Amino acid sequence: MISVKLDNVSLAYRLYEKLTLSAPDRRLGALGGTIGRSGGMQVVQALEDVSFELKAGDRLGLVGPNGAGKTTLLKVLYGIYQPSSGTVSIEGKVDALFNINIGFRPEATGRRNIVLRGLISGWTEAEIEQKMPEIITFSELGDFIDVPFKTYSQGMAARLAFSAATALDPEILLMDEWIGAGDAAFQEKAKRRMDELAEKAGIIVLASHNENLLESVCTKRMTLKNGRVESFITRPTKKVGARAKS
Amino acid sequence: MISALNGALDDISKAMRLHRVWIALAHEDIGDQHRRTTLGPLWLLVNYLAFIGTFIFVFKTSDTDSAGYTAYASIGLVVWFYLMEMISLSVPLFSREGSFIQGTRLPLFVYVMRLTVQCIIRAAYSVAGCIVILLFSGLGISTEWLLSIPGMLLIVLATPAMVTVFAFLGAFFPDAQFIVGNIMRVGTFLTPVFWVYHGQSGIQNYAYHWNPFTYFLEVVRAPIASGEFPMHAFVLTAYISLAFWVIALLLLGRYRKRVVFLI
Repeated sequence: MISVKLDNVSLAYRLYEKLTLSAPDRRLGALGGTIGRSGGMQVVQALEDVSFELKAGDRLGLVGPNGAGKTTLLKVLYGIYQPSSGTVSIEGKVDALFNINIGFRPEATGRRNIVLRGLISGWTEAEIEQKMPEIITFSELGDFIDVPFKTYSQGMAARLAFSAATALDPEILLMDEWIGAGDAAFQEKAKRRMDELAEKAGIIVLASHNENLLESVCTKRMTLKNGRVESFITRPTKKVGARAKS
Repeated sequence: MISALNGALDDISKAMRLHRVWIALAHEDIGDQHRRTTLGPLWLLVNYLAFIGTFIFVFKTSDTDSAGYTAYASIGLVVWFYLMEMISLSVPLFSREGSFIQGTRLPLFVYVMRLTVQCIIRAAYSVAGCIVILLFSGLGISTEWLLSIPGMLLIVLATPAMVTVFAFLGAFFPDAQFIVGNIMRVGTFLTPVFWVYHGQSGIQNYAYHWNPFTYFLEVVRAPIASGEFPMHAFVLTAYISLAFWVIALLLLGRYRKRVVFLI
């Protein structure tokens, strides 16, 4: 059974201060989690007491100001950050799309990047070969697939990243705000694919500032502020069903 | 301690299952370094030959004008280049891999193996150059050359551990990159790569006996240059390698989840 459950998850990490000759700090702004001090060290409280539960078919939208902890939370869900306290239990195969350039090699072609990405996600070469045509078709990159990744526009990179990540039928898909980089036609296509994924009883967690996107994709909405959950709203499912038909 | 070891072994076994990833990435790395060049990775061979050629011909004295010395210096340089490159590239390893470490769940040991493979591929080019030099040096091929294979294997086995230790060092102390860089540059002269130890006293004595690199060089070099198996050097190299593995496992076990916050 595909599910995500977080219990009182907190994440704090130390900021390492370096010896520096530059003027003392005006580097730390008002955004982000709380920066506190403990024993002479700076500690960032990136997440505090986050608890929620998602079941198969749920699509959660994460909202909140810059630095509220949205990406951090996604990275905790993906297993990149280990929480400092609390428990995370996840059932299902997770894939994630963070910053577009993460995990892509600028010098390699789009095709080669798909192969690398597949290997990293644990597919065999045969599986990658089998999925390749579908990924290329979905991305609509055409001949650009054999051109180095560094020449791609943000939108083209987003197409490649999204096509590759969703081609492996992830059961849980984590996405950071970037999908806006694709053009309207691709966003529509991406939305349809996310619908399919959710209908196959998958879970989607999407961090975004794009209200329209959140509105059309998500069934639940969680607002984060300073690393804490401010609200968690479940929208009536009727609307989703209606949209799926249209 | 036990849980640290379990964690480390878990990371390593996961990385081993992903061997396709690090082999593919290491090939990409070699390709990237020589992209758009005509000779490609053959530059590694040219680089080695130019260096050793200069040394052998320019520093030619009656003392060094022998097939034995040519073998001594050319093998010494292969091993030294390997160690120097491996250690210098290890220190900034995790920050160089930052985008992968922050964006994927690959075990850290994948990056360690990626660098290990990359270093071995690069070394293969200088080994090829070295063999050519040995064949032309007039030393004569002998079956004793095979005795340097255990030494080479030992160094290869120690490589992932050394990469891990230096990579953690670099992650926790960014200054280490410059300290290690300096030490390795000075090390070229403090290690008996080009000079021969004949029981001199003073600094050469210390630089020979108290320098761990001496033994790494000797295990590969002695069988070919002097025709005997260097048991003493082999045992010491094995101990040093073992120590590196113990430290590497502890670091990996305890701190692997912290690295992502440091880079």
